[in-house]
Amino acid sequence: MIAELAKPQASFQGFVSRLSKFVSRLPLHVVLVGIALLWITPAFGLLTSSFRDAAAVASSGWWTAFQLPFEFTLDNYQAVLTQNRMGVSFLNSLIISIPGTVIPILVAAFAAFAFAWMRFPGRDTLFIFVVALLVVPVQMTLIPVLRLLTNLQIAGSFPAIWLAHTGYGLPFAVFLLRNFFGALPRELLESAYLDGASSVRVFFRLILPLSVPALASLAIFQFLWVWNDLLVALVILQDPGKAPMTVTITNLVSSFGAQWQLLTSAAFISMMLPLVIFFALQRYFVQGILTGAVKG
Amino acid sequence: MAEVRFEQVTKRFGDVTAVNNLSLEIPDKEFLVLVGPSGCGKSTILRLLSGLEEVNEGNIYIGDRLVNNVPPKDRDIAMVFQSYALYPHMSVYNNMAFGLSLRKTPKAEIERRVREAARVLGIEDLLKRKPRQLSGGQRQRVALGRAIVREPAAFLFDEPLSNLDAKLRVQTRAELSKLHQRLGTTFIYVTHDQIEAMTMASRIAVMNDGVLQQVGQPQELYERPDNLFVAGFIGSPAMNLFEVTVRGDQNQTYLDADSFRVAVPSTKVAMLLPYSGKKIIFGLRPEHIHVPEFMPPGTIAAPVQARVDVTELMGHEYYLYLLNGEKHFLARVDARTMPRPGQDIEVVFNIAHMYAFDPVTGKAITTTDG
Amino acid sequence: MNRRGRLIPWLWLLPSFLLIAVFLIYPVIETLRISFMNRDSSVYVGAGNYQYVFTNSATQTALLNNVLWLVFFTVLAVGLGLIFAVLTGRVRYEAVAKAAIFIPMAISFVAAAVIWRFMYAYRPEDFTQIGLVNAAATNLGLEPTAWLVEQPLPYIDQLLPSPLHTNNFALIAVGVWMWTGFAMVILSAGLKGISTEVLEAARVDGASEWQIFWRIILPMLSPTIAVVATTLVIQALKKFDMVWVMTAGNFGTDVVATLMFKEMFNFRDFGRAAALAVILLVAILPVMLITIRRFRSQEETR
Repeated sequence: MIAELAKPQASFQGFVSRLSKFVSRLPLHVVLVGIALLWITPAFGLLTSSFRDAAAVASSGWWTAFQLPFEFTLDNYQAVLTQNRMGVSFLNSLIISIPGTVIPILVAAFAAFAFAWMRFPGRDTLFIFVVALLVVPVQMTLIPVLRLLTNLQIAGSFPAIWLAHTGYGLPFAVFLLRNFFGALPRELLESAYLDGASSVRVFFRLILPLSVPALASLAIFQFLWVWNDLLVALVILQDPGKAPMTVTITNLVSSFGAQWQLLTSAAFISMMLPLVIFFALQRYFVQGILTGAVKG
Repeated sequence: MAEVRFEQVTKRFGDVTAVNNLSLEIPDKEFLVLVGPSGCGKSTILRLLSGLEEVNEGNIYIGDRLVNNVPPKDRDIAMVFQSYALYPHMSVYNNMAFGLSLRKTPKAEIERRVREAARVLGIEDLLKRKPRQLSGGQRQRVALGRAIVREPAAFLFDEPLSNLDAKLRVQTRAELSKLHQRLGTTFIYVTHDQIEAMTMASRIAVMNDGVLQQVGQPQELYERPDNLFVAGFIGSPAMNLFEVTVRGDQNQTYLDADSFRVAVPSTKVAMLLPYSGKKIIFGLRPEHIHVPEFMPPGTIAAPVQARVDVTELMGHEYYLYLLNGEKHFLARVDARTMPRPGQDIEVVFNIAHMYAFDPVTGKAITTTDG
Repeated sequence: MNRRGRLIPWLWLLPSFLLIAVFLIYPVIETLRISFMNRDSSVYVGAGNYQYVFTNSATQTALLNNVLWLVFFTVLAVGLGLIFAVLTGRVRYEAVAKAAIFIPMAISFVAAAVIWRFMYAYRPEDFTQIGLVNAAATNLGLEPTAWLVEQPLPYIDQLLPSPLHTNNFALIAVGVWMWTGFAMVILSAGLKGISTEVLEAARVDGASEWQIFWRIILPMLSPTIAVVATTLVIQALKKFDMVWVMTAGNFGTDVVATLMFKEMFNFRDFGRAAALAVILLVAILPVMLITIRRFRSQEETR
């Protein structure tokens, strides 16, 4: 009898405790949501500005655009997309980024495979050396690289920048891939070798397919890095016709002139691609950072 | 004053009821083992007691104190985790001293208690080492030491031997029993291994699906299981169970298993008569099945034909995996038997030790005069 | 795996090594050499470039600014990253919140610079503000400031020549905005790597949540914090894009990297530019050594 009397009280107890838990966590939620909003606001501001015309942008803050009358316009995007420079820039960015991602991954994969599964003298020391190069600032290499490329008469060409990005990206890529390859089960490779497969076979048929997550996250990293790069492009590609979006936008920024309002939409467009990639492949991105930076 | 009491405690996780209306009293100084298969709720009970989980319904008392809303740190209990959960960045000494230093115990006192515990556990040499430099067995002792220095009202153990190798496990079992005698504090111990339960416990509580099946001394659970689950769980190898029909009458009752029949001893006839013509579950432990030539004196023999499927020589006895019709069962027979797989032999059931269970409720069918 | 002769591994390594040699190793050595030569590397000038660089006020400013970045950028990004990692771990919409804070990492520094130029936009007092920061400031009754130009922080600047300028901090804020997400993600992973059983053991041992944070979580997290801090320190020292696009290093916001760029392309003095690059490398060297050492010890447990 007493047990039955206790029951309804227990569920009320439960309700009260859950309510008080929620209330005590309210500050947490407020702070967190506030921070998240704060973080997004700058980008959001840019987005809004890109839909306003030049006069509006110059005269009032973007948040006022949400009051009547709504003054949104697609002019900026139209101008940016039809302006020769932007379209070409976008294409240039792609031309630079895609090979600039694929080639480093391939080259690094070869080396990572050797580091992970082959034995040769000085292997571990060499590996540490390669990884240590991660800290070399790109700036240190620019003058000689530029000179070298000029002497070889390929300075200012796309292949030159592909090679450059490959070289710069190798330490990180080799590091990431070697760790991943090394974690693959040894028995798998051994049984393949026992079956008579050559290293090449094992590499293309076994290692690469099994490493898709690592390759994917590396691809994302490398692509974002190359797409967003400014310095290397500025130094190596001097021809304005070959300029990627980062360079073109920078020029817009310093020019100020009548192009001011185009800046917003140009910047936003250049942001779109990385953002889309980021959201679509978020999982791999984060995983990649974790494998690369935090061990065990 | 460390009696522990659960009053109608229920704990739910979403749709799943992990602990269902548990009422259990654990007197001071007892070594209670909570045993059951994975997911039966035993670990949850431990976590409810320690305060790491909160009850949905019911009350928990430690001593005379209602501790439902008391946080773990104020419940005066110590816990040894399955994976030891040592603080990896602290030395063994600091691991053991941590709890005391939080309570602002004076340094001299901490030093005394830690060294004493280390001495008892034989880990004095390890005090300066870090956990990653220790073997599994050593880490376990440190975890024990960490609990001992707190001098709590009760010790909680969550499957502490699972991560040890077999030999170490046997050794540590004995040491834990000795430790319990020496400390004289309540031990509440969770395991899925019924051998641990049988060897160490002063009382065993069997859990299944969140429900307490039976609680009692080891011998009691072994000889007089309350229900099918306890019968099948306690005792290794497990009790043989057959689905049979009760036939016959007052004068001659027997159990019909289609492919064999056994006569019911007179002492058990009365309790089975209500089931006449109906099905029951008939249970017999492997140690009560013999080969005729080596059956012990006093056996009430019920012969059964069977074919030997597999034999396992255990040294002092044979495990015979037998087949009768479609029924598989296990017998532990004298080592002098020379069984061969495929051989057709006759075994005898020592029917005096038979168990009967209601097929619907699973409860044991017992004689009213015990 | 030693199957087909000793040559095979080297073949696999060849393309990588070639590229690394060309783009990383050779340039470093060459830059070192150039730093001792004159502007077009025809005449040897000994330590002349270094002398110039260290006595030049512009360089001194740049160096101090780098130190400023080093300290504030790293501490803020790590600190905020840690706080956010802890906070997001407690709510169900963790993934969304984390994504929001992480997004700035996906966009280029250039785009970020554009965004923040708008945020920091300045119009004199009587005009309506178009930059969010100044709008907020005026709403709070403060004067609008040209964040990217403004130099002196009251009083401090009058006492000593310091890089503690408002505009430097404005730039650092942008850097923090971008990199906190990175720190947060890694620290969050580190937090999750701490086994709950250890935390529960601490709770049963009698620790309050606060004590658990300081005496258990933080010490266990220190390797992860080290990783994050190292990466951020390197970032702080290499910082170029952000500063270049927002202020082109003007108004006293120069860092070594932007200064070097100017020497290279504006003044065309390769010798000095190289000297600056070498200074950068020397500054990073300790970090490199720490990374190697940590890496080595990790490798040992493999």
